[in-house]
Amino acid sequence: MLKKFDKKDEESGGGSNPLQHLEKSAVLQEARVFNETPINPRKCAHILTKILYLINQGEHLGTTEATEAFFAMTKLFQSNDPTLRRMCYLTIKEMSCIAEDVIIVTSSLTKDMTGKEDNYRGPAVRALCQITDSTMLQAVERYMKQAIVDKVPSVSSSALVSSLHLLKCSFDVVKRWVNEAQEAASSDNIMVQYHALGLLYHVRKNDRLAVSKMISKFTRHGLKSPFAYCMMIRVASKQLEEEDGSRDSPLFDFIESCLRNKHEMVVYEAASAIVNLPGCSAKELAPAVSVLQLFCSSPKAALRYAAVRTLNKVAMKHPSAVTACNLDLENLVTDSNRSIATLAITTLLKTGSESSIDRLMKQISSFMSEISDEFKVVVVQAISALCQKYPRKHAVLMNFLFTMLREEGGFEYKRAIVDCIISIIEENSESKETGLSHLCEFIEDCEFTVLATRILHLLGQEGPKTNNPSKYIRFIYNRVVLEHEEVRAGAVSALAKFGAQNEEMLPSILVLLKRCVMDDDNEVRDRATFYLNVLEQKQKALNAGYILNGLTVSIPGLEKALQQYTLEPSEKPFDLKSVPLATTPMTEQRPESTSTAAVKQPEKVAATRQEIFQEQLAAVPEFQGLGPLFKSSPEPVALTESETEYVIRCTKHTFSDHLVFQFDCTNTLNDQTLENVTVQMEPTEAYEVLSYVPVRSLPYNQPGTCYTLVALPKEDPTAVACTFSCVMKFTVKDCDPNTGEIDEEGYEDEYVLEDLEVTVADHIQKVMKVNFEAAWDEVGDEFEKEETFTLSTIKTLEEAVGNIVKFLGMHPCERSDKVPENKNTHTLLLAGVFRGGHDILVRSRLLLLDTVTMQVTARSSEELPVDIILASVG
Amino acid sequence: MGLLDRLSGLLGLKKKEVHVLCLGLDNSGKTTIINKLKPSNLGTEPRALHLLGKHSTTELNPQPQHIYDCAQVQDIVPTIGFSIEKFKSSSLSFTVFDMSGQGRYRNLWEHYYKDGQAIIFVVDSSDKLRMVVAKEELDTLLNHPDIKHRRIPILFFANKMDLRDAVTSVKVSQLLCLENIKDKPWHICASDALKGEGLQEGVDWLQDQIQAVKT
Ligand SMILES: Nc1nc2c(ncn2[C@@H]2O[C@H](COP(=O)(O)OP(=O)(O)OP(=O)(O)O)[C@@H](O)[C@H]2O)c(=O)[nH]1
Ligand SMILES: [Mg+2]
Repeated sequence: MLKKFDKKDEESGGGSNPLQHLEKSAVLQEARVFNETPINPRKCAHILTKILYLINQGEHLGTTEATEAFFAMTKLFQSNDPTLRRMCYLTIKEMSCIAEDVIIVTSSLTKDMTGKEDNYRGPAVRALCQITDSTMLQAVERYMKQAIVDKVPSVSSSALVSSLHLLKCSFDVVKRWVNEAQEAASSDNIMVQYHALGLLYHVRKNDRLAVSKMISKFTRHGLKSPFAYCMMIRVASKQLEEEDGSRDSPLFDFIESCLRNKHEMVVYEAASAIVNLPGCSAKELAPAVSVLQLFCSSPKAALRYAAVRTLNKVAMKHPSAVTACNLDLENLVTDSNRSIATLAITTLLKTGSESSIDRLMKQISSFMSEISDEFKVVVVQAISALCQKYPRKHAVLMNFLFTMLREEGGFEYKRAIVDCIISIIEENSESKETGLSHLCEFIEDCEFTVLATRILHLLGQEGPKTNNPSKYIRFIYNRVVLEHEEVRAGAVSALAKFGAQNEEMLPSILVLLKRCVMDDDNEVRDRATFYLNVLEQKQKALNAGYILNGLTVSIPGLEKALQQYTLEPSEKPFDLKSVPLATTPMTEQRPESTSTAAVKQPEKVAATRQEIFQEQLAAVPEFQGLGPLFKSSPEPVALTESETEYVIRCTKHTFSDHLVFQFDCTNTLNDQTLENVTVQMEPTEAYEVLSYVPVRSLPYNQPGTCYTLVALPKEDPTAVACTFSCVMKFTVKDCDPNTGEIDEEGYEDEYVLEDLEVTVADHIQKVMKVNFEAAWDEVGDEFEKEETFTLSTIKTLEEAVGNIVKFLGMHPCERSDKVPENKNTHTLLLAGVFRGGHDILVRSRLLLLDTVTMQVTARSSEELPVDIILASVG
Repeated sequence: MGLLDRLSGLLGLKKKEVHVLCLGLDNSGKTTIINKLKPSNLGTEPRALHLLGKHSTTELNPQPQHIYDCAQVQDIVPTIGFSIEKFKSSSLSFTVFDMSGQGRYRNLWEHYYKDGQAIIFVVDSSDKLRMVVAKEELDTLLNHPDIKHRRIPILFFANKMDLRDAVTSVKVSQLLCLENIKDKPWHICASDALKGEGLQEGVDWLQDQIQAVKT
């Protein structure tokens, strides 16, 4: 419905907006009228409107032209026309960052804010604060203080809100106004009270104690303003969250008491706060859920909406807490407001039983076309969650998804559906064929490049393994014929994957690829030529390395290494092994990412993390010549107990022949400064400590980093595991916690840390092999070794898989880390790269009888990694 | 002017409006003079004064305050940028752009030169040290393209005459080399803005000049 209106608006809207086709230069020309006397207020106000419109449309005004218009505008202050004056205030605010010397209006504004015209005073305060920087603030400080306690609410509110904005750049000045704000906080006007509390809170928010006091003070006396209550609830719940969840706190009591407030707004805010507290127990949830339940039958649509939306969220974490509301939710299913109905249904889908699914799905499909995309995404997410919960319902749900996929919808919505279908396919091998063919149909008419390429990639990966791979070729090749270059390139890659895995189809694939070699687009042509040449060699290893499994190096790393290579030309060919590996290989999209909307993307963070380390380490002179950083341990290990004098955490960095231990140290004693801090290490094996890079000075609470450089044992390269005992050595200098003054004299001291382990996992970087089998063939069996072990302490296959993956630090491929239910055998496929750059692959067959028996087969392009793996498992 | 003012008001006569720029160094007394010229009931008496009295004992004004014996009790603070004030003489209605005299704002005066039909230039007669600065600013003004070729009347107030170390208006005009101004009518008045002495004389001269130009 909404969407249709929009479209109509766009079509017919042309004539209705008088400001539509404005020309910047013409408007600025018109602004010269401001210089004329006598002033025509109506005309001038209209021109100002045009200027504001242009600015808000994103039109760029140059500094000179903006300044000229601004100064012309200042002359309008002669007129006492109220409309014109208020347009001037708006213009001042909008142009404050575009024009120069805007402080020219300072005196005019201070005059207005202290003048007789109440209508001018509030807006003048706001405009004044907008043009005032921290150096000018002193000059207007007294006016601000007066305005905050002004008896006219609009003036006081304006002053308070403007002060809040000023806090960002002039904290120290605004801080001096708390007495005035305090006075305003007891105002009878609800807005003034709200704004005053807002300012007070923001001034104090870094001081937990002061915030607590403030909450207890204001809540003891009671507040007039429901807005103020809502804010206090938010502040209190934030405070609670940071207090790691103890519920005995008066803060929680306060929030709970707000459930009985006379304003619905406050009641809702309190309920929503309780529901969102992390680790909330069923008992604590109950009263909040029951007020939400009451709201479900409110005559006000806004309240019903708020309630059901919040219940929907609760249902994700505590479905059982919401079951009590099922009846009320059922009533909302037929609500005339479609948003409410949708949320009610999706909530029921989360809390309801398997048997209710069919009915609810039928109900929702009756009005799917009437709700907005945003809510459709909510529905898709609910379905995605259901699929995980009730695998037997796949057929119903998949059908529903396909119907939705065929209908109109925006990118986000379509992507949610595709994500959901893909995750179903991945979880269930039975649904693979139907899923793929529906997706094929979808890309026949798909306007979203990202989705089309994604699906083509999936087809390339999954299609060749199906019973009848040839049926996908038509759909893929159609893309080459019909689509634009990005999709064509994706299609070419998909075709090549079929050719690489299926000998029968190879001749026809080669024909198709040959046609693509003439494509207009560079990328498409390059890919086709490349794949064609690789496929024509008819070598499995080549196919595996260049078509089925992509590069495992870090792309920014590769770029850097190549640039370096071109800067220093050498006889030697470029060595791909010298490029750092991608730290976390691209994982397949997991179903989690569709069920919770805002998952962070850990891949990205990790990649930059290693980049950062690489850069930091390269800056240390002692570490020159170690070569590229091979791997950094994923998480720092704590070498001290929590809440001790010093906090030391270690990150291990592996280079081809060395280890660098990075110790992040914090000194939590405020009466000490440490100097020359190192961590001395004593290895159990033939590892050799080469040098220490100390932290020169470690003052109270300022983290510092020291390093220890260790050479790996050359004589016995299989000795990968080692334990180090660690002692921190340093010079202590006492210092005065108040003045920060440091004693000249210091004394030596040391501090024993926990032992540090280096394991086989520190020598192996995870890599992703999309097609494990191809990679396995590619490496070949020249250095294959096999051994059988009994894991006597392990009782289940899941446990065995988890342990092996963690121990070896390799990447589980082809989702083999998931053990299907009710099976007693399983094969785990692991891939990694050993320090120095050799691929290492492990196939581990597990058999569960009373205990788990494991047959490990390892392959690598060298002997050493294979030996190390087998030695360390045994 | 009281009587005439009210009469013309009653008769509904509209006075001719003129734009005047009030220039001069900071602290010379521009705002004080304009304020004194405004009718007391139209003064922008700051409400803040009352509020302050009621609410707290915060200091009134960071600068030492003078007690005035006149109706327009105001706390005058240095102007930042400019402020527009209006007052009337017997036959004209003045719109004055009271500019800020502080060094860093003086270069902003020129934005308003084009519209000015007359200039009031205020000099602190007791500030001998900065007389050269005043002269420099005056010369820059006179040489500005928007001013140079216009016969625009300039009224000088040799202000703060009441102070013991003030120099005479004759001395001020010498120090500023006023005799060099050949192509514009000018006049200098000794004034004491606190008491309002000398202001009327100046305004009368200005009124005559403006009418002479126009008629
Ligand atoms: N004794 C004496 N003091 C005066 C006289 N005129 C002004 N003052 C004082 O001089 C100081 C500055 O006066 P303002 O009117 O603010 O000066 P201004 O030229 O407007 O200054 P800016 O706005 O900074 O350019 C104030 O403290 C006035 O009381 C005068 O004739 N005699
Ligand atoms: Mg002034």
